[in-house]
Amino acid sequence: MELISATGVTKHYGGITALSNGAFQGHSGEVHALLGENGAGKSTFIQILAGTVQPDAGVIVVKEAPFSVGKPSEAQAIGISAVFQELSLIPDLTVEENIWFRHEPLSPFRTVKVGAMRKATLDLFQRYQFPSLPLGREVRRLSLLEQQIVEIAKALSHNPSILILDEATSSLGLQETQWLLSLARRLAESGRLVIFISHRLGEVRQIADRVTIFRNGSTVSVYDTPKIDDETIMADMLGRRMDRLYPERIPAKTSTVALGVRELALDHRLMDVNLDLYEGEVLGIAGLHGHGQRDLFHSLFGMGRARGSIKLWGRFITLRNPRDVLTGSGGIALVPEDRRNHGLLLTKSVRENLTLSAISRFSRFGLTDATREAALVKEMIESLNIKAVPEQPVGTLSGGNQQKVIFGKMLLTEARVLLLYDPTRGIDVGTKGEIFQLMRNLSKKGYAILFFSSDIVELIHVADRIAVFRGGRVVKVLEGEGINERDVLRAMIEKEAV
Amino acid sequence: MIAFRSPEGMDARTTGAEEWRTRFEDRAPFLVACALLMVLMAVYGSLRKNVFALEELNLDTAAAMTLLLAATGQTIVLLRGGIDLSIGGMISLGTVLAATHFGNNPARATFWTLSIVMIGLIVGMINGLMVAVLKLQPFLVTLATWSILSGAALLVLPTDGGSFPAGWMRFGGASWLGLSSSVWLLVALVLFWLWFRKTPLAVAIRATGSNERSAYLSGVSLVFINVATYGLSGIFAALASLYLTTQTGTGSPTIGKDYILPSVAAAVIGGVSLFGGRGGLLGTIVGAFIITVIGNLVFVLSVSSYWQPIASGVILLVAVLASSIAEKSARRNLV
Amino acid sequence: MKDNFGTHRGILVAYLATITLLLFTSLVSTGFLAGAHLRSMALLAAFIGIVALGQTFVIIGGGIDLSVPWVLNGAAVFVTLFAHGHNEPLLWAVPLLLVAGALVGMINGLGIEAAGVPPIIMTLAVNVILQGGILICTGGAPTAAAPTALQFLAVGRVGGIPVVLVIWAVLAVTATILLSKTTFGRYLYALGANATVAKYSGVPTLRTVVLSYTLSGFTAALVGMLLTGYSGQAYLGMGDPYLFTSIAAVAIGGTSIMGGSGHYIGTIAGAFLLTILTALLPALNLSSGALQIVYGIVILVTVSLASEAAPKLLFWRRPLSQN
Repeated sequence: MELISATGVTKHYGGITALSNGAFQGHSGEVHALLGENGAGKSTFIQILAGTVQPDAGVIVVKEAPFSVGKPSEAQAIGISAVFQELSLIPDLTVEENIWFRHEPLSPFRTVKVGAMRKATLDLFQRYQFPSLPLGREVRRLSLLEQQIVEIAKALSHNPSILILDEATSSLGLQETQWLLSLARRLAESGRLVIFISHRLGEVRQIADRVTIFRNGSTVSVYDTPKIDDETIMADMLGRRMDRLYPERIPAKTSTVALGVRELALDHRLMDVNLDLYEGEVLGIAGLHGHGQRDLFHSLFGMGRARGSIKLWGRFITLRNPRDVLTGSGGIALVPEDRRNHGLLLTKSVRENLTLSAISRFSRFGLTDATREAALVKEMIESLNIKAVPEQPVGTLSGGNQQKVIFGKMLLTEARVLLLYDPTRGIDVGTKGEIFQLMRNLSKKGYAILFFSSDIVELIHVADRIAVFRGGRVVKVLEGEGINERDVLRAMIEKEAV
Repeated sequence: MIAFRSPEGMDARTTGAEEWRTRFEDRAPFLVACALLMVLMAVYGSLRKNVFALEELNLDTAAAMTLLLAATGQTIVLLRGGIDLSIGGMISLGTVLAATHFGNNPARATFWTLSIVMIGLIVGMINGLMVAVLKLQPFLVTLATWSILSGAALLVLPTDGGSFPAGWMRFGGASWLGLSSSVWLLVALVLFWLWFRKTPLAVAIRATGSNERSAYLSGVSLVFINVATYGLSGIFAALASLYLTTQTGTGSPTIGKDYILPSVAAAVIGGVSLFGGRGGLLGTIVGAFIITVIGNLVFVLSVSSYWQPIASGVILLVAVLASSIAEKSARRNLV
Repeated sequence: MKDNFGTHRGILVAYLATITLLLFTSLVSTGFLAGAHLRSMALLAAFIGIVALGQTFVIIGGGIDLSVPWVLNGAAVFVTLFAHGHNEPLLWAVPLLLVAGALVGMINGLGIEAAGVPPIIMTLAVNVILQGGILICTGGAPTAAAPTALQFLAVGRVGGIPVVLVIWAVLAVTATILLSKTTFGRYLYALGANATVAKYSGVPTLRTVVLSYTLSGFTAALVGMLLTGYSGQAYLGMGDPYLFTSIAAVAIGGTSIMGGSGHYIGTIAGAFLLTILTALLPALNLSSGALQIVYGIVILVTVSLASEAAPKLLFWRRPLSQN
């Protein structure tokens, strides 16, 4: 049965056209993937479906009735639930309170029935085989991964006939991703429509029956997944043939150790980590979520309270504060996990963001030199191909361009040790390619790059070596041309991949 | 495809002991406040006889009640993540309106009682509308409405004065089953809170204070929540002004400003977070009593009454530091 | 949450409102624009403007300073106590008290950034503690009269221009440079915009916060002493009105209370606007009650005009900045 039929959907934001001809058809019993670069319109489209945004034009029919909702709760009422990458959880409420928020079981006195809520949550978890979660805990105490799972539970609690998953796997680890993917298939098999957005073609191939591709605000094609190859998909998404996503990997590693880590330890999260990052190499970090990688990066950037010894370009350093490492060319720079909340001042201009960590480069005696600043900014915008003007507020940029601003910010510090934590998360294919090329170029220039990605394929293609984390330790370091996914996976989970 | 396997991949940090420790850390400010109150009462008790008798309870509750009522409204606003400075003006306005209009006619007194509460509600709702629709900062909006209400109070009654019917004044001293009317009011307040905090509205208020955007995305009407929050605060400010008149018997156009910051202090001492989303009225009640008992102590110790604000200030800092340390250690587990 | 565009609009609105009000009152009341009257208004505006200078810095950094009233009052009271009516003690008393004010500010800053106490609570507590302390010291009684040198400083003129205005001008230029052209200014705006990001970016948060509050304590103490000279003596409670007016001046001037945007240039307009409003009192025969109502309405109107569009633009702007 056809659940959604949309044609000519249009949306403008001031002078910008986000969507000019969006079309989509989804029926019950399928997993239907939406693909497209950031800014291509697919995000706008599903926001319209979810009720957070109103279209300017177009005809949408849902369940054979005309569709017109003014807010998210109305969309939920007709059976559409969405899980967006930007979580909608309430930090100070518990897991159950978040899941049942706005539709809690009520007693005759109009108060929330806590016991009934807990039971309903357990039932929900059991029905969909959720990973275990600490229920009574406030959501702010959960890891990002756990929070994403709560968000999914929240969407499912409304028993939707149409479930939208927008980049829902990007915060999940390997096992949880598999759980979600199989959940999506099961939901489809039970008669629902699952609309699935992901930048990972591997996942799309795994579960999607059909794909609809957006480009530049319109729908350009619809395919049955098994019948189409990756190159065509990417060509449709980008409007051109893309030679390769992954750049040529030219080894540039020297024998100088840029960052030497010995016996790094932090509670139970990091246990005796030993690592050498060489000048000119890209060292990949692999591991399931929660196995210490994040703590490693934070500690190296001065944000943890780890013990151990760290040598930067041969000299011992103590790390208590990012200021200890953001010391210019002899220092370390970080591209953080959460670019919107940790990496960028969204209300400030591109220029101000780019220069924030490197103000000393254009100031003397505390006074800033606007001309020199402008020159540095212009140079960075051009070399990174950032599609923005310097005075534009960074919050209005697309995800890919925002990430480039963060890269630019990092590069302006002239630090040659770079820590990149999942830099391509939620970024479109085109920008990803640019970032990988940038990383290889930098390694050729003698930069030392530590690179974590939850996408093993990326690691294999971009990194020179891969250090695998498990249980807070480095359990294996893989190098050489012949690394394949299986080896990495095996080291990560110690069980043979099926 | 990889066979799914439980907890290895997830943070299996939940041990029973951890659970209790985080619970404790959450409640820390409230518990510290309770401990503080007990210490103060003990000191107080050593200086005066019969401190733990019923009579003392009646007196202290009566002394604390105005602040308590004001702080109740403020608690709700703080939970929403805002602040209400206009209660200063509302309390002043309430007392002067009552003082000049009650006359000696019970019917008129009743009418004006209801009117004052209505005014509190309406002004509060306007506050809420301006915050939600015009997207103005609560601090600024309520600062401005405070000024407006204070000005109105001055226009109604330029200097302290006015009169109240005898019956009204008797309310303050009335008692039932040995407990004064203020103690019964306290009981009613506690019962109200125990019910209110479990209503979806209260949950939504806390949620909006915790993360406004998430609340909106989850379907909360920001307009409704803000109007309800500030409306409730206005009602309680009005009630506070009315109660105050039963204690003082006069209307004062400037009395309100003395209640603004203490109402925030009482809530904060009791564990209500200034950022919204956390805390409750029970803590505020403890906080209000702490402030009141400090006043008593200062009086009994015969030191200059100027020590009271110092003591309050120091206690406030200590309470906040304690909860800040507890919070920081809780957050360490997350990074 | 205002971007740079919003700031400029806010400042523009503030100056337009000020000029409009000035014209209006000059129509309604003769002699309003007379030289002497303008001079005395400028003087009063200067007092607000200087206190609001410190407040501007603190608010841009994302905080607020509620300790202004009693830092001001403290400096006022102690300068008369130390001087006892003579001019010579001023040579050490004035610098000493300026440092004391700065010190109080430093304590505020440390409590807020190092100990994590929310600004409202920290500065409120400090204010209240200072109040108690000063009242105890003075026993609640007024102190000696202000020495003549101080009075000259407050009302005297240098080359026809009131000394106070010169002081204000110097401070205003310094503030503008600090905010627009120094690393400190950059760090302050970043801190106010998002403290976490600032930390991740290597901004020296402790130093920046402490400096901003120190500045605020300094300006409050300065105005306390100038006011003492102006009115001839210090009296208890003289600082109270300056809390409201300093914050209002900052807000009217287009600076967001949340921090991260705004400029002192706007605050200057705010100070003038408030002064003109106060001058309306005798001019229009308004009672103080009516004046307070007008105050409140003016604040609401100017802040609404300046803030409307910007939050809408950035807050709801989801799709194009998805990630």
